[in-house]
Amino acid sequence: MKPAIGAPIDRVDAQRKVTGTATYAADTPVTRVAHAVIVTSAVGKGSLRALDIDAARGAPGVLAVLAHGNAPRVKADRAGSAPNERVLQLLQDDWIHYADQPIAVVVADTLERAQGAASLIAPRYETAAVVASLEQSLPTAFEPNAMVHGAPDSSRGSFDIGLAAAKHVVDATYETPNENHNPMEPHATIAVWTGSDRLTLYDATQGIFGVRQRIAEVFGIPKEHVRVIDQFVGGGFGCKGTPWSHVALCAMAAKVVNRPVKLAITRQQMFSLVGHRPHTSQHIQLGADPEGKLTAIRHAVISETSSFDEFVEPSAMQTRMLYACPNVITTQRLVRVDAPTPTFMRAPGESSGTFAIESAMDELAYKAGIDPIELRLRNYADRDEQENKVFSSKSLRECYQQAATKFGWNRRTPKPRSMRDGHELVGYGMATATYPASQWPAGARATYRPADGTYLVQAGTQDLGTGTYTIMTQIAADALGVPVERVRFELGDTAFPEAPVSGGSTTASTVGPAVKDACTMLRAKLAALTPADRAAGQPVVAEAKSEVSPERKKFATHAFGADFVEVRIDEELGMIRVARVVAAFAAGKILNPKTANNQYVGGIVWGIGMALEEHTVRDRRTGRVVTRDLADYHVPVHADVPAIDVIQIDEVDTVVNSLGTKGIGEIGITGITAAIANAVFHATGMRVRALPITLDKIA
Amino acid sequence: MQDAPGPCRVVAFVRGWSPDRAGVLELERVRAHLRGLSAELVFESEHGTWLLRPDDDPRPIERLGRTRFRVDDDEDGVFVIVASEAGPGTIEASGAVRFAHCQRSPIAGTLAPALQRATDVMLAQAPLHFTRRAWLTTCVVSGFALAVLSACKQKPSREEPEPAVRAPEAGELDIVLDVNGTKHPLRIEPRVSLLDALRERLLLTGTKKGCDMGQCGACTVHVAGKRVLSCLTLAVAVQGKPITTIEGVAKAGELHPLQRAFCEHDGMQCGFCTPGQIMSGIAILDENRATDDDAIREQMSGNICRCGAYPNILAAIKAARGGAS
Amino acid sequence: MNAFSYVRPTSEAEALRALAEPGAVALAGGTTLVDLMRLDVMRPARVVDLGGLPLDRIDAKSGGISIGALASNTAVADHPEIRARFPVLAEAIDAGASGQIRNMASVGGNLLQRTRCSYFRDLASPCNKRSPGAGCAAFDGYTRNHAVVGGSPNCIAVHPSDMCVALLALDAVVRIKSASGERTIPMSELHVVPDRPNVETSLRPGELITAVELRDAPFAKRSRYVKVRDRASFAFALASAAVALDVEGTTINAARVALGGVATKPWREQRVEQALVGKRPTQQMFDAAAKLALADAVPRPDNAFKVALARRVIARALALAGGVS
Repeated sequence: MKPAIGAPIDRVDAQRKVTGTATYAADTPVTRVAHAVIVTSAVGKGSLRALDIDAARGAPGVLAVLAHGNAPRVKADRAGSAPNERVLQLLQDDWIHYADQPIAVVVADTLERAQGAASLIAPRYETAAVVASLEQSLPTAFEPNAMVHGAPDSSRGSFDIGLAAAKHVVDATYETPNENHNPMEPHATIAVWTGSDRLTLYDATQGIFGVRQRIAEVFGIPKEHVRVIDQFVGGGFGCKGTPWSHVALCAMAAKVVNRPVKLAITRQQMFSLVGHRPHTSQHIQLGADPEGKLTAIRHAVISETSSFDEFVEPSAMQTRMLYACPNVITTQRLVRVDAPTPTFMRAPGESSGTFAIESAMDELAYKAGIDPIELRLRNYADRDEQENKVFSSKSLRECYQQAATKFGWNRRTPKPRSMRDGHELVGYGMATATYPASQWPAGARATYRPADGTYLVQAGTQDLGTGTYTIMTQIAADALGVPVERVRFELGDTAFPEAPVSGGSTTASTVGPAVKDACTMLRAKLAALTPADRAAGQPVVAEAKSEVSPERKKFATHAFGADFVEVRIDEELGMIRVARVVAAFAAGKILNPKTANNQYVGGIVWGIGMALEEHTVRDRRTGRVVTRDLADYHVPVHADVPAIDVIQIDEVDTVVNSLGTKGIGEIGITGITAAIANAVFHATGMRVRALPITLDKIA
Repeated sequence: MQDAPGPCRVVAFVRGWSPDRAGVLELERVRAHLRGLSAELVFESEHGTWLLRPDDDPRPIERLGRTRFRVDDDEDGVFVIVASEAGPGTIEASGAVRFAHCQRSPIAGTLAPALQRATDVMLAQAPLHFTRRAWLTTCVVSGFALAVLSACKQKPSREEPEPAVRAPEAGELDIVLDVNGTKHPLRIEPRVSLLDALRERLLLTGTKKGCDMGQCGACTVHVAGKRVLSCLTLAVAVQGKPITTIEGVAKAGELHPLQRAFCEHDGMQCGFCTPGQIMSGIAILDENRATDDDAIREQMSGNICRCGAYPNILAAIKAARGGAS
Repeated sequence: MNAFSYVRPTSEAEALRALAEPGAVALAGGTTLVDLMRLDVMRPARVVDLGGLPLDRIDAKSGGISIGALASNTAVADHPEIRARFPVLAEAIDAGASGQIRNMASVGGNLLQRTRCSYFRDLASPCNKRSPGAGCAAFDGYTRNHAVVGGSPNCIAVHPSDMCVALLALDAVVRIKSASGERTIPMSELHVVPDRPNVETSLRPGELITAVELRDAPFAKRSRYVKVRDRASFAFALASAAVALDVEGTTINAARVALGGVATKPWREQRVEQALVGKRPTQQMFDAAAKLALADAVPRPDNAFKVALARRVIARALALAGGVS
């Protein structure tokens, strides 16, 4: 039988998605569910002087109005939770830390009545001056207490000596703005309490077990009493990676009204309640010898965090290993602003960080008069020089070579503004993409069902649209030695074996081995059955928990890629259009080339948005987000997206995990923004170092 | 709150029934009601006894006595009783079960409507600070008994239950929406959008709310054959016009060619925008607007796909259109 | 959204009576009204649904075309006579919003489209348009999308319509009815600068737009629309220009130039027009004339780029209309 792994099979959940029968959290049918809406603060800092809820409470159909004076006492801080959890705002006090912070929750029998009553809430504030942007508090930058991975700083060799020895120097500051994830599905929760201490949550989340843990802590109940279900996630990109305030507020509301409650946040609230990618300011210094060999790199990152919590956008991480260079310093600092706490957003760190370092490399290529690919090849890292480890596998040379050939890089004339077509300036740009390949422990269960001869495989993971349903089905089918049609994979339920959050491009590498192990065990069990066992017709179950191989620690494990972009810019009008993209990625074993291509392309589309459009603007006086909807916060539309040609480079890696996968969810958005910015420079001669590159910046 | 731990449990006595004979939609409806009641359901028939929790497959359990069952190794009592075929029953103070007389009736004609009415009764009567157990017992027993009794007296029917009988409140209107060929009577306020009417009242949740302000296209449906945004459409304003949602696109179980093309070309990732993309795509194909790649991109620009599956959506629309690109 | 009463008149007379009631607003396509009601920016007591009125005819006659106020944007842009005789109107509509919104939005509604100023749309920000005398949060705020001309510290909200810019360039006439009779006003007199920001048009209370009339003119056939925005589609204009040229031989007999995206109302540039009359249609001439535009601009720090941009947009549109590019 042909292996299912590696075959471009159709998404197994496609039919449910195209018929509208895929059940996202807010779609869960609950008869006569009550509706809750969150009321948020108008001011960006201060406290509530008074909150008149009487009019709302008396409005037709209103079941309850919760505010800091009457909300049940719960645990909102994060002590005891994982370090990547956030401090929640659960109506426990009258302080306001950011604009559009929750200050009340209105519950009514219909959505319209809840919304209508919410508009009757009349708060009065004690306001304080806000610090709305990073620039305002740069001098107060501080070293973060903790990072999710790694240390804030790194150092090897002597940067000063390396820089002094350099012939060519780049010294520039790059900026990436605040951005909001804006998955198409706004966060939504339905809370159903059974008795006083058992709770079922239908919640739009990338991590059902994280929600279970946190909500159990908030309400002080055993985590086993909380069940979290989410069979379909309408996109996450990081903002559904940790439970936010609305989840607990929904459960609180359901408890108070003694009835199931649904709470879906609004699109505008997506800009304050569920995190954002923080604004970064990245100072880069590169030194190189006459041949372009790097002699020194400094990458100093400052990103914003909230006044009450810490999140680090680790934009310098890739710089520690991306190029061979003896003298490298990286630092990551935070400044506090009066804003919500930022969070992971697709390739946190690497997306913003590769924009800076790969733009700087392009600047160096021009300074040194070396082709950008050649410059990167001269500085090719054969091992991770910071960690002093060899790569488990690295096929970046092949990526450069194949993508450059297919793109037609050799047609590029290096001089800026040297290529044009009618009204349009044409620019070619390239950059390197990279993202770490990680693995975490996970569980899975496989059940043989003799009644119909099918296999049910379950794991408490999520499918964000990444293809988890499909690739796990393929992995299971191969491990069981049966066609995919006989396997049904289920996820999104804490009743299944525990799996971690779907983030960090780890789901294939984390849940995949557990599914493989459970199915391998089940196959062995079935082979050992006696005829009498078989005749009894009982289901056979095997459960596995995969661990991270200790072997991984000896290696640096990363996926790599190369992006090549053609932009076309209307010379008079300034409109910038990405005309085509060719990219090559090497990310270990590809389980399904069809869904993988979609992931890579999606990452590149995100790169187009990040490079040219996305910008969460805060009013500097109030801290309120001005670009608070999808008309003001632009993400790419169909017409922005050209043909995108992705080359999947075959790569065998026996170190990363038993499947050889590195993860592909995030690498697509790395590198691409720099490739676009570099192409804009080539087209116009304008080096734009602050994203997004809107037409006014090249006028 | 001094609530009893554990769920409210509802028991149904049904002849000739087993989980594999239940229809998927029927079970879904029952599940919705069970969630609404924070309850779980015990089915008993001559074939055995099953427990149905709202989010689990039905599973066989052991019966220990008339109203006692073994669930998860615990011997659990039963708070509430409902019967169908043999008639509805209630628990008396002594613990005895009394069945009322009634006619035969298949489960589909009784259970879902019974649960619906029980929920209505419960919500209409429940004072807020009742303890949960007492509340449920009182309300559900009376609700079920009345509801099942009346349901059993009716002829077997697959019709939806009638809406709860209550006077229209101020500002409410009685309207009829013609959705996917079915006329749905609704009593709603005029401020209810078509989107919320579809999703929250008719449980047609295939149409998605991505922004609720006309900026994303996830709520696209066809009204009188034209693609429109249901979030910016008041339900009262489209009475009498034929409305088609994603649920009405496949005919007799046969996918529309564009739905098939989306599957084959992987024109989706998370799938949340997909119903809107397909409704938009069908409209531009029907109206011959999908003339070339750029025209398709422009025409589809009102449907945002944050996952960025645009190139595959383009491929799917071209495939469904057929002919040269 | 607040609760409101809903009426759906079936005659113009009935509609005019209903609209004369205090707190009444007219509902056509809903793309502005329902959106702003959901934001609580508009809280009407009474919504008068015009959907039952027979006002959607597009009447092409010799000498001109009359467009019913309820004709959809799609119907107007697709109309072959409009495409042939008033191409700038079709281009402008096609450049706006999305296919779904164009299907919903009516011509009358589009004439009354309200600003997209983010501060106007955010109840937490002071806005003289929403509440006269409250102050303007935009003026010292984030102004990238705001007007560079026609504003004052009281209001710099941009008029967002594309269609209106084309109608202005075409010298369209707006037909208006009220209980006391009928009147017509030229497009140039419909919208007013925000001396009082809550007053956006010269319509009087209780008046209803019933039609827009276009008269054939030599310049109308040679008319183009160019729009620059931050993404390739489904975005409001940073700057746009509707231009129309009457060229006879090598001489410009007449010209019309109107701007969108830069002003508090659709903005006519008569200085540019006058500079073109009697000249040869060359790129140099167009560039030079375009530089006369926005001479009175008072940009804010974030939107200063719009002045030069708008001039280049005019030059491009003239080049396209004049056939010199």
